[in-house]
Formats: sequence, structure tokens, C-alpha cells
Amino acid sequence: MGLDRRSFISLVAGGVVGSLCTPVIWKTLDDVSIWSQNWPWIPRLNYGEEKKLATLCKLGGDAYGIKVKTVAGNPVTAEGNPDHPLSLGGICPLGAASVQMLYSPARIKNPKIKDGNNFKDISWDDAEALLAEKLKEAGAATAMISGDETGSTAEILSGLVGKLGSQKSFFMPAESAPAAAAVQMLGGDGQVGYDLENAGYVLLLGADALGSWANVARNAKAFAASRDKAVRYVYVGPAQNGTTAVADAWIPCAAGTEPLLALGLAHIIASGRTSYAPGFADFERYVQAYQPETVAAATGVPAERIMNLAKELINAGRPLVLTASESGHGLGAYEAAAGMCLNMLLGQMNAPGGVRILPWAPKVVESAAEKKDLLANDLVAYLTAVADGQEDAPKVLLVHSANPAYALPNLNKVQSALDKAEFLVSFSTFMDETAVMADLILPDSYALERLDDSYSPYGAPQAIYTVAAPVTKPIYDTRAAGDVLLSVAAKADAELGFESFEAVISAKAEALEAEIDSLMEGTPWVSEEFPTQDLAFWSSPLKEIAVPAGAEKSVSLSVVTHLKIGSAAIATPPFGTNAIRFDEMKGKEMYVQLNAATASSLGVKKDDRIKLANAAGECVALVKIFEGVMSGTVVASLGFGHTAWDDFSRGKGDNIYKLLQAEAEPGTGVSRFGSAQVTISKA
Amino acid sequence: MQAHNFKVKWGMVIDLDKCTGCGACSVACRAENNLPPEVDAGNKLRTADWMNIYELSNGKPFPEHEVAYLPRPCMQCGKPSCSTVCPVVATTKDEEGGIVSQVYPRCIGCRYCMAACPYHARYFNWFDPIWPEGMEKTLTPYVSARPRGVVEKCTFCHHRFNAAKEQARINGEDPTALPEDAYIPACAEICPTGAIKFGDLNNAEHEVSKIAASDNAFRLLAKLGTDPQVYYYSKREWVRKLGDNYLKNAKGEDHV
Ligand code: SF4
Ligand code: SF4
Repeated sequence: MGLDRRSFISLVAGGVVGSLCTPVIWKTLDDVSIWSQNWPWIPRLNYGEEKKLATLCKLGGDAYGIKVKTVAGNPVTAEGNPDHPLSLGGICPLGAASVQMLYSPARIKNPKIKDGNNFKDISWDDAEALLAEKLKEAGAATAMISGDETGSTAEILSGLVGKLGSQKSFFMPAESAPAAAAVQMLGGDGQVGYDLENAGYVLLLGADALGSWANVARNAKAFAASRDKAVRYVYVGPAQNGTTAVADAWIPCAAGTEPLLALGLAHIIASGRTSYAPGFADFERYVQAYQPETVAAATGVPAERIMNLAKELINAGRPLVLTASESGHGLGAYEAAAGMCLNMLLGQMNAPGGVRILPWAPKVVESAAEKKDLLANDLVAYLTAVADGQEDAPKVLLVHSANPAYALPNLNKVQSALDKAEFLVSFSTFMDETAVMADLILPDSYALERLDDSYSPYGAPQAIYTVAAPVTKPIYDTRAAGDVLLSVAAKADAELGFESFEAVISAKAEALEAEIDSLMEGTPWVSEEFPTQDLAFWSSPLKEIAVPAGAEKSVSLSVVTHLKIGSAAIATPPFGTNAIRFDEMKGKEMYVQLNAATASSLGVKKDDRIKLANAAGECVALVKIFEGVMSGTVVASLGFGHTAWDDFSRGKGDNIYKLLQAEAEPGTGVSRFGSAQVTISKA
Repeated sequence: MQAHNFKVKWGMVIDLDKCTGCGACSVACRAENNLPPEVDAGNKLRTADWMNIYELSNGKPFPEHEVAYLPRPCMQCGKPSCSTVCPVVATTKDEEGGIVSQVYPRCIGCRYCMAACPYHARYFNWFDPIWPEGMEKTLTPYVSARPRGVVEKCTFCHHRFNAAKEQARINGEDPTALPEDAYIPACAEICPTGAIKFGDLNNAEHEVSKIAASDNAFRLLAKLGTDPQVYYYSKREWVRKLGDNYLKNAKGEDHV
């Protein structure tokens, strides 16, 4: 055994005392640093001209402008875009880690076709020809899933499916669909946005506005500005999070019961009021069922607190109520409507500082489904029906910007439905769980490598159209999905009327009367026009929202999203792993949070390995004792437990989607899966 | 020890009433300063995070519990414990502006400075850094990559300081009197809630000097007399009180 670095250094260091005056020691130490820093490979830094280019970040649920710094043409870092209304200079942790995703080991470098249990390479020409052939055969038995509600690629996909005679166009579930349905119930028509910047009081019913809900970067800016204006932010939900860490108040409320609280508040606010709004009388009668005591028993929020909260809302100027499922999806349409009615009662519909109803994005691909209809199509219900044999499996299923094999409730059924699809095509940039199952992979170029666009993501306070020119050329043999789809459509005799994705974007710009050149340069088009709405309280009668009945000895599961861990579409990025704290993950195991009283009643303690189980499935996690959680509740984060991707995420923690079971909301049939009940035992 | 008196003292004030613990600053710092991505980031004894985020608790049970998040860069102490123990003068506090330097080629990896730093702001490179194939192309030109065997820490994005001075010279302005927004570290620039403010603590015009003077401002472990140039701000008394407590489990179960 030779002298190792450590003992050698302590030897040298021991000799330092008293010898600092001689030059020998400095020479020796210099040598030490050279010997101890010998490095087989020194990464070279690239120098060159620096630029900042505007682009879009769609890695989370949002789509907002960021800027990417390039050095000699190489993208190096990302930052917010002060000139984009949904960034205002802010960026989310996924956006901050987005540049390095270019070289994620999970990237799919070229088209691939299934070969037994593996994939083999296939040329673009052959891949496109094969897909065109399959589409011709499948015809109306084609379906599509997209995880990007804002871009034109989904419209092209839906256009292709429509052209083939199929109505099976789906978005991944998000908050936008229930919100749009809620506005429709009130007689409105349009995309839903919120004028957070001008609100005088913000009530967050389950909406983790500063962590994961809607336009996170812009929400954060609005919140920061509110601090100088004495605008109160009140968060209602089962557990503390990044939003409650800075909000003015946290009102603990049992997981998934926030809409009940909304109806309880509506009852207090409505009673004794006279309103000439159409349908008010019916509405007032309906909410009488939600007496403070009833709501208190269901939500765990004391009746007095409910009364006070109602008072605060009545007295606040321009209050805004944001209703969401903590997990970012799975809210029912009536549940969203419950929150929306509060805004209506408070006079905050289609008003400054309130809910904004934006015009739908213009549709340019004729055969595509209307966005409104796309939002209403229920993917979870469809895939579950396919799994159960109640619906024919698609012959061709096209999946874009989405990872249904990982990020949906009823996960076993979803996976079996994907399995049943005769020909599963993934356009994923990364080897995600869905791509692994695919028969054909046509890798989309990464966000920074392709032309892309976005029309107002959910929550945006006005109509915004953003176009992002590529920041760099594709690194690998990938192509933009929009272009590939147009070319395949032509080959399948299903011409969509556009030669290129760029032509689709130009048409969209034209439809909006936006200047394409300035869009291409990164300046978003913004409109302050809001179509007039004919709103009424009782356009479609609300059904009673029942209190979810928990099984004996079960615990409510509150499901949360942390963008640094990932989103429904993206696994933890290479540059995200370190932002996960030691109390969120230990080694490869994830923590779930319980308060001490709940833990002791379950007989578990800090760092115990536990099993969370219900009829849908089971997950394993470690116990973190966190007093910011309601009793009888366990908080778990989505984003862990990947089985595909790369070493930065694979095999770390467990996938909480396994515990989510969708149920059809009575009356609307919408798949609800915001929270769940689980039993907890030592694993 | 004799502390320098600098004309300009760069400092940070982190408003804990605005920090949501989102982690964006930590990610941006990593990219800006060429820290490698880490596969095994679940083992906090071997990871490096110049900007590390801690969860703070008021210690009360539900429902009285409150939570806050505390991002921790290098404190750039006025009287640094690290530089005094370094046997090879690899870390010093001698440049105008008061940023504690870290000279990688000089560092011999003895880690005395890590033991000395009460803030756990210093990290040792246990391994040679590895970037997945091609990812080295995203290295910034600002900070050299560090080999195994040396210690590193937040530098207040010192390269941005140099760039700002350079720009001032080009503009014919005084590089020793930079305006407030000429030099902003990466973390402060990207924080979506604007929780991180940066500027010259000695300059009454700069916002940081005003907030630092507030009753709600505090510094971590102020009682140790290290005189940090990073201030925190919170209207919550329990948060301010925690500032003088030793951060239990600051880096996992114990600290190497
Ligand atoms: S980016 Fe800002 S809000 Fe997010 S953790 Fe850092 S300081 Fe806190
Ligand atoms: S000042 Fe620069 S080096 Fe220090 S934590 Fe912030 S980004 Fe990192």
C-alpha cells in the first residue's frame, strides 16, 4: 500500500508549521496540488460570441417564454425572459435545467422500430412510409394523445386523426379541462385565465400557485408584487408547501374537499343577498345544503373559520378564487364549477382582477377537433374502457409530448390499453415509459432544436401567442413532430393542407392578425380583447358534491407536484437531482410526509419504510415527520419511480400514480382522481 | 484576525418571506458555475450544492406548525473561518468587494476549510466530475471545471463581477463604483419571486444596504462573529430566531 492522498496531505500539513518561510514548502505544495489533481480528462470550455435567444419552456404544465444563453452557438444556460408576460424574468426549476436536457442520456437519437423486446434503427423514410401504411389501414381506428395543449403540433395530430375519420383526439388530463367545463356550466365559452396581477385578495383552493399550478413563473412575479400592495394570499389545502411557506395564511382542509369548502363559502356569501344575476335564486337554494357545520365536518375547517373566510372575501376588493387539485389534475367539472361560482358571486367573472375568459385559439387545420372538444374528451375514461374491452382498441395510437404509461391514474389499465393498441407510435424526445412500449418511435427534436408555438396556456390572463425559433440545430437524427406528421399525412393520402410546420404557424399568426416576423424574433403577440359572455348561475344544474367516504383505518393521500422532481411529461432532469433535499429522498428512496400524531396512530416513525396501498396499487416510501400536514393525511409527491429514462431518475422512489384511481364524477362523467385513500403498513 | 475594510462590500439579502424553496436558484447556480450533474444526489455526503436549500420549521405540532425555506450560498464572511485555516492560501479575503476567493489549482484538498466553515458552504470533489456524453458542451466559459481532490464553494458568481467591471471600463465608467444592477449573480437573477437581492452593502443607495439595516434582517450564526455578507430577512420572529441556531442535520445525518 502506498501513501494515499489524504495521509500524504496530512503529513505535509503537519510539516507546515514553522516552515512557511522557506520556499521549499510552497514548491512542494504546488507539486502536491498537481499530483493530487491529476485528471485523465479535462473538459475544455468553449469560448465565443455570447447571445441570449428567446424560446419557450413547456417542460412543466405551463408554456412560457425563457431565454437561453448561447456561447459560440452552443446553448449553455437558461434564464427567465423579462419580455415575456408569463415569465417576466422568472423561471421554474425545470426551465433552469432545460438546456442540459439537450444531452440527457435518455434522448432518443434516431427513429426506432420494435424488434422483439428491443428496438432497431430505422431510417426516417422507411419509418414515415411504414406509419403512412399503418394509418391507411387503420383509418378511423386511429387515436392520438398529446400532452401539449398550447402548440400547433397537437392540432396537426388531431387534424390527421380527424382526416382519417376518427374523433379520438385526447389531451393528457390537466387543470384546463375542468375549468373550461366550469365556465361552460355558467354559460360562458372560452379558455380560462386569471388576472392575478390585479387581484386584491387571492384564495387558493388547492392551487399550489407558487410551486406547480398554472403559470408558475408569472404567479411568482404577481405574488412578489402583491407584497408591496397588502394583497392577501390564503392557501387552503391538506398540507403546507412552497406556497404556504410565503402565503399570508394556511387553512388546513382535508385532501380533495376544497370544492366543498367553496360551496360552504358560497352559501354564506349568497344568503341574505339579492342578486339579479340569472339563476341566482336557484343557486342560493342549492348551496343551502352546504351549511358551515356540514362543511366543517367534511373538510376539517372549523365553522368559525369558514365564516371568517367568507367575510374576508366579501370585504376584499377584487377577490380571486383559484380552485385546483393539489396534484395539478384530476379535478371534477362540478368541483371546478364550485370554485368558479364563488368568483361569479363575488362579481369577479370576466372582470379585471378576476377570472378572464379568453377567445379560443384560432384553428387552422380544418380536420382538427375544436380545442373545446379536445379538452372535453376524457382520456382516462377512454383508455380504461379500452382496457376493459368496452371500447375497441385503436389500431394506431399516436402519442406526442405525453407519457401516459407513467402519468395517468388507473395505471394498470392504462398500460394494458396501450398494450392493446395494435400499433403504438411515440414521438417522444426521450426514452420515457411510453416510448419503451411503442412499436415505432419517431423522436421529436428537443424544444431548443425545433420551431414551436404556444397559444395562451391555462391561467394566462390574456390571449398570448408565442413562437419560438430553434436555438440550435438538432444534435441527433431527430425531426420536429409537426413536420413529420404533415409529411406522413401526405403519404397516407390524408393531406392536411400544409407543407410544413412553419406554414401552420404562419397561418395561425395570420388568423390572429399577428406579425409573423416579430413573432419569429421572439416577441409574443398579446391581445387584451375578451369576448362578451352571457353568464348565468344556473345554466346547467349543479349536482351535489358528495364527501368522499374513507375506508376504515385508511389515510387520505394528498398528491403534490414539485417541478424540480419533474412533471407529467418530464422525469427529473440531470440538473434537478441535487435540488431534491435530503428530507425528500434518501439514497434511492423517497419520503412521504405524515405528522407525528398520524404516524404514532399508525405505529410508524421517522425513516420507517412503509407501504401505501389501495385497490389501485401500492407504493413504498420512507416516513418523514412533518407537522405541516393535517392529521389522517399522508402527502406524497409525483415524479418519482420512473422505470425508463436514465440513471438520473430511473429506479428512484416510487410512482404515486399507481395509487390514483379515477372515478366518474356523478352527473358529468368526468374522470376524477385528485386524491385517494390509502392504508399504511410497515414494508 | 484582522478584517479588511473594503470600500465596496458585495452582499446578498434573501427574503425568506418570498422564498418558496422551489430550487430554481440551486439549479441555475449549478449550470452557471459548471457543477456536474449528479446521479447519486440522494447521498448528500458526497454531493455539491453551492446554493443549498433547507426547510425550516417553527417546531410546533400541527396545526400550529409553520414552514419556511432557506437558500444557503457562501456567506462571504467578513472574518472568514476558512481562509485562516487554509495552509496553502487557496482561499482568501483580500479583493475589493469582499468576496472570499477559492483558487482551485492551489487547493490541496486537506478540507480544513470545510471543517472550519460553520455554514457547510464548502464542498469537496470526491470524484472527477462526469458529464454525460455531449453535455460538456453546455459548460459555460466562466468557471473552470474542478477535478477530484479540491474544495469549492459559491463565489457570488465572481466572473459576473469581473464582467461588470470590464463592461464599466468599456463604457468609460468607474469599475469601482458599479451601479446596483450591473452585477447580479445567477441565483438572484432567476429567482421567480425575487427573493434574492444583491448589491453593495456599503452603498446607501443600494437596496440591500437598506434591507440589511432593517429590524427584520438577520445573519446566520451571527454570534460566531464571522460577519457574513449574506443577510436574511423575515417578518416572522421564529424564522429570525432560527438564524442563530445551529442547523441540525444541515447536510444529512452528519457532516463530513
Ligand atoms: S429560486 Fe427563489 S424562491 Fe426558488 S428556492 Fe431559490 S430563492 Fe427560493
Ligand atoms: S452567487 Fe452565484 S455561485 Fe453563489 S449561489 Fe448564487 S449562483 Fe451560485
